[in-house]
Amino acid sequence: MPVAQLVENILQSLTAGLLLGAIYGLMCVGLALIFGVMRVINFAQGDFMMLGMYAAYYFFVALGMNAVFGNAVGPYVAAFLAGPLLFVVGYVIHQALISRVSGTKTAQLEGEGHYAQLVLTLGIALILENGGQIVFGSILHSVQTPLSTNAWIISLWDGAVEIFVNRARGIAALLSIVIIGALAVVIARTRLGKALRAAADNPTAATYMGIDVDFAHRIAFALGISITAIAGGLLAPNYPFHPYVGLEYVIIMYAGVVLGGLGSILGAFWGGMTIGLVQQLSTLILPTQLQNSAIFVVFLLIVFFRPQGFFGRVVERT
Amino acid sequence: MLKLDGISAGYSAISVLNGVSIEVGAGEFVSVVGPNGAGKSTMFKTISGTVRPRTGTIKFEDIDLVAVAPSRRAHLGIAHVPEGRQVFPSLTVMENLEMGAYTEAGRRHWRTNIERIFSLFPVLAERTNQFAGTLSGGEQQMLAIGRGLASSPKLLMLDEPSMGLAPAVADFIFERLIEIRRQTELTILLVEQRVAEALESADHGYVLEAGRVVLEGTSETLRADDRVRAAYLGM
Amino acid sequence: MPLVRSFFPILAFAAVYVAITLVITNSYYQLMMTLVLVWATFGLSWNILSGYTGLVSFGHAAFFGIGAYTTALGQMHFDLSPWLLIPIAALFGGLSGLLIGFPTFRLRSHYFALAMLAYPLAVLYVFEWLGYQEVTLPMKRENAFAFMQFTDPRAYTLIALGMMIVVVVLSRLIERSRFGMSLIAIKQNEAAAEAAGINTLAWKLRAIAVSGAIASATGAFYAVVLLVVTPVSVFGMLVSAQALTVTMFGGVGTVWGPVIGSAILIPTSEILHAQFGARFPGIQGVIFGMAIVVVILAAPEGLFWKGQEFARRHWPALFASRSKSTSGDRTDMASANMMAEPSPANRAHDEVGKVILSVRGLSHSFGGLKAVQNVSFDVSEGTILGIIGPNGAGKTTVFNLLNGFLRPDAGEILLHGRSVVGWTPHEMCNAGVGRTFQIMRPFSRLSVIDNVVIGSFVHARNEKDARRLAENAIDKVGLSSIADRVANELTTKQLRMMELARALAGRPRLLLLDETLAGLGQSEVTDVVAVLRRLAQEGITIVIIEHTMHAMVRLVDHFVVLDHGAVLVEGPPRVVTQDARVIEAYLGTKWSAYAQA
Repeated sequence: MPVAQLVENILQSLTAGLLLGAIYGLMCVGLALIFGVMRVINFAQGDFMMLGMYAAYYFFVALGMNAVFGNAVGPYVAAFLAGPLLFVVGYVIHQALISRVSGTKTAQLEGEGHYAQLVLTLGIALILENGGQIVFGSILHSVQTPLSTNAWIISLWDGAVEIFVNRARGIAALLSIVIIGALAVVIARTRLGKALRAAADNPTAATYMGIDVDFAHRIAFALGISITAIAGGLLAPNYPFHPYVGLEYVIIMYAGVVLGGLGSILGAFWGGMTIGLVQQLSTLILPTQLQNSAIFVVFLLIVFFRPQGFFGRVVERT
Repeated sequence: MLKLDGISAGYSAISVLNGVSIEVGAGEFVSVVGPNGAGKSTMFKTISGTVRPRTGTIKFEDIDLVAVAPSRRAHLGIAHVPEGRQVFPSLTVMENLEMGAYTEAGRRHWRTNIERIFSLFPVLAERTNQFAGTLSGGEQQMLAIGRGLASSPKLLMLDEPSMGLAPAVADFIFERLIEIRRQTELTILLVEQRVAEALESADHGYVLEAGRVVLEGTSETLRADDRVRAAYLGM
Repeated sequence: MPLVRSFFPILAFAAVYVAITLVITNSYYQLMMTLVLVWATFGLSWNILSGYTGLVSFGHAAFFGIGAYTTALGQMHFDLSPWLLIPIAALFGGLSGLLIGFPTFRLRSHYFALAMLAYPLAVLYVFEWLGYQEVTLPMKRENAFAFMQFTDPRAYTLIALGMMIVVVVLSRLIERSRFGMSLIAIKQNEAAAEAAGINTLAWKLRAIAVSGAIASATGAFYAVVLLVVTPVSVFGMLVSAQALTVTMFGGVGTVWGPVIGSAILIPTSEILHAQFGARFPGIQGVIFGMAIVVVILAAPEGLFWKGQEFARRHWPALFASRSKSTSGDRTDMASANMMAEPSPANRAHDEVGKVILSVRGLSHSFGGLKAVQNVSFDVSEGTILGIIGPNGAGKTTVFNLLNGFLRPDAGEILLHGRSVVGWTPHEMCNAGVGRTFQIMRPFSRLSVIDNVVIGSFVHARNEKDARRLAENAIDKVGLSSIADRVANELTTKQLRMMELARALAGRPRLLLLDETLAGLGQSEVTDVVAVLRRLAQEGITIVIIEHTMHAMVRLVDHFVVLDHGAVLVEGPPRVVTQDARVIEAYLGTKWSAYAQA
């Protein structure tokens, strides 16, 4: 294969990986927020993302974002709107269900109630997936936007190498980065963000400071769900989805979070980015079906050899 | 200001405290001493809300504390400096202090409080951007006390501040407590294993052993009492 | 014989099931009858690993799928009969279990769960890539029986029933044997199990091997019943979820759990699917999901245990203890005790004053913190040594070093003159070192004797021997009258004595006791002190960490005082409690000054 072609393939995959990785990063950040603050393993994270995708779809189509904002901007407005909606959903679910198996009540239990959390969120996942099938049907949905068929073209070396940057994905990636940036500011600078970090670091001391740790957990959970939902909404214009799509992304999310270092919210972004790159770059050497296997293998390798992850500060939790 | 009456408490099947009653008057410095396993920390935890007493009452300025959720107690004016410091390791020194000022009173008097904290503990002023997890034991203790002061409390409670610290560092901490007493009108409740230091500046003290108050009195009378030594060493 | 009698319920269940099967003519329901048994058996296999050990596996589909593909591919490529392939699948399943278990058991709880989740999903994509999107078993009209292909679906139900009964019998045998007890001990408190002489890794591997073998055999049979195998239908997450759900719903850690769970959930979801599936596709999943959510919040251990609790409260007569059998034996036990092989008491008279444990220059740091510094002391046989010191002095660390939970950075530990540095806790137990823990974690649902018998496996030759050793130990601590009482009805003092009995059941020559007196009242302390003194008189050496000084001074022969990880002073109680350095360590530097002033 001529060198130019090879270089082009690699760069194209790299670009695709970066674009996809940015959205994976956002998805992982949502999960990391939940795991980092609450130490809860949420099986249903992928399914909340699925709800985000459908929410974006319905906002776009049914509620006329299409009509108001047009085909180009509409999908992204719809994706953003999925956020607050899923925030409320997450808040309610935490209050009704999750809080019973996590937080200050269960901190003294053996294994910190992990078993119960895993099983409960598995139950929620099943309800959401199958309920989703009943409500939404199993036909593939997607959000149509002309941007998905347009691309910016980066031309290198006098046109010898041309890289296509899909506009829809490019914008989605940019928006992901903006959201993560905003989240980073909130976590680092605001009183709420510091309270969440304090609750994550040392729930007992946080209570002594007057922070309601259970409420902090609820906010973290709702926020984590809504962020992952927005990521889903951003994926919606590019990737057709169905009620069971969450299952495909759960392992990606966990791989990204573990890679980034459990407990590091921003590390999860880099973890997700890495997974996106691994997935796209592996298309160069592996057949399509094995791409996903590649992710699992990477995941297992990390879990075995470097469970603390690669990115993010590793400061001992009290 | 604070009154415990007949408190019995423990963990699951084990009973640690059996009918403990102590009183801390407004503006007083009260020390509770006793050997390990006597229940000092458990008593501290019933006041902070981590442990629920089985019997007895706790009154803070006539408010029934047991009915108040643990995370609300700081807002009533009770500052906790917990056993083992319990700083927020991945937050900076400044952020730790900001968390101390989470209460409304803390936010209102932030300027005054932070000045006082830095004048009492200059080393904290030097390290405002350092992660609290990387501080030495003594520095973490100073930070924990600073955090307590940052909430502009009415009652400052300290749980074994000397534990795990080198003697010289512990001495410094105690000396700072005396200074805090001098500068502010805070009511202080000190729970400590090191008796002499704890009684030095206290108005009065209680000796706990095996979950009961076995001795109480002014610090003068306690200091001269060999029964204190016997409480610690068994004979 | 009680063992045979306990199988009456399952045989009764089988009889009823066969009756129902013969009556049903609708082929859909006939298939359902088979599937109930298949999922029940799968749940039973999951139970053997996760139910008993508490290591929750979210990836049992890995074994199930391996079994299914063994049948499918074995028949397709090699024309082998399922009668042969199912046992082969079991073999593959067992081997996969070992292969998966060995690396994965080293992971902590949430990493373990995530890794187990990943295995079947990784394999799923491999099978898709290999081109096995849909494998149909070839029809064999001529040799139908030889290839397990029947025209009447009820034949499959009977085979499935046979399989399930075999697995139930196997599970029961495991439950009541040393295997099962070791697994339960691991679930309850892995550290304590290790200290009691249980090689936890070995037992976990055995559990996953058996679990995997059964799961694969079930998957292999499933392929024969459905005749079509796709990667998702056998490796998918829903399959793993199914094992978990039916067992959790029905009851974890008991053979009845998966059976009840499957018998309720499968027909419910299938009937709902049949009735409403057209309008509400996916109703099964929703039902399963809701079942899990409700169960985990309301009855986390499953319906069986909740039901048993309910029955115990309302009809206590049904659960009357079997005390009649044991009280008759007690007198025999007492005399047998005296005639047993040389008890420690005899040895003590021969070797009084002999040093049994020698610690030299023991040091250990955690990161930068020197927890134990150059600690040396000797312990003579038959004496009681107390290790005391202010908070944070390093006492528990020393114990963990002596017991094998920590490896010292430097120093020597000699037990009977032999170096035991680097030995694991269960090896130490084997060598005669028993230990109790500060935080007690009894098996709350089991009786005292069942709790104690765990400790006797290390030296017992067989089950009967184990029981005898346990009864001896219980006798020594004075709990014989309540040997059959369930652990969650005991008082603190009784629980502590039970812990002690468990350590004694391993026939230790050295006992490490960690805060045995914590939480006891004055008179209770006196009782326990008496028991400990008696044990020492019989020749058992005791090293005890305690804070209750007024009890310690009456109990111990010798003190070693630690401060900041180093030995401050040693000596008899009278001397140590008046030593200026000790007073300073406990009460502070300024105390002595005041006391003299």
